[in-house]
Amino acid sequence: MDIFGSMKISSSALAAQRSRLNVVSSNLANAETTRTPEGGPYRKRDVIFRSAPMGFDGVLEQAVQGVEVAEIRTNPSPPKLVHDPSHPDADAQGNVALPNINLLEEMVDLTSASRSYDANVTVIKSAKRMALKALEIGK
Amino acid sequence: MKGINQIVPPSMPPAPAKVSAQEGGKGFMEFLEQAVGEVNRSQMDSDRAIEQLQSGQSKNLHEVMISMEEADISLRLMVQMRNKLMDSYQEIMRMQV
Repeated sequence: MDIFGSMKISSSALAAQRSRLNVVSSNLANAETTRTPEGGPYRKRDVIFRSAPMGFDGVLEQAVQGVEVAEIRTNPSPPKLVHDPSHPDADAQGNVALPNINLLEEMVDLTSASRSYDANVTVIKSAKRMALKALEIGK
Repeated sequence: MKGINQIVPPSMPPAPAKVSAQEGGKGFMEFLEQAVGEVNRSQMDSDRAIEQLQSGQSKNLHEVMISMEEADISLRLMVQMRNKLMDSYQEIMRMQV
């Protein structure tokens, strides 16, 4: 049924925004991590989204697309250097390489993910309301 | 929510049985069967989704909610169809011959 199509699209968006939330929480949790398995400080991760066909037929196939996470990229910007000779991971000059994470940016990202989630939930609710309205025709 | 099949028979059969017997409305029976089957399937899907969420196999809360909504809407649609059906059946039964 077509009314469920928009729900499917919004559902893909909810999944995408949730992975974004996961990435933000990982970034925030590791905002001061100096040791990682690959060596060096933690690097900020970014989510890259990609549109995805949702298996509709006909004219909708190309035009109407859901979204999916294409990749989770490691942000290439250099780590922050902070002078702190007492830190165990400080180099010979007493500088510590801290993750390239800006708390404010992460909070903005978090809010944006949360609002986007809300918006997509609203779309689902709206689709449901439309379906129920259509059922009222018969009453 | 263990499938619609158990709930449906008491209320549904009279109308379709009469119609198919008198008019040979095989297409209509098939259509009805298909509709009930569809609703049943969506109920089962929603059941399975809830089960998977509870047992930790699925982590997608929103997908479970959406499949529940889907099941709800298809059930309402079926109830509306049933109401229409009963209306027309009763209308015909009231007819003076």
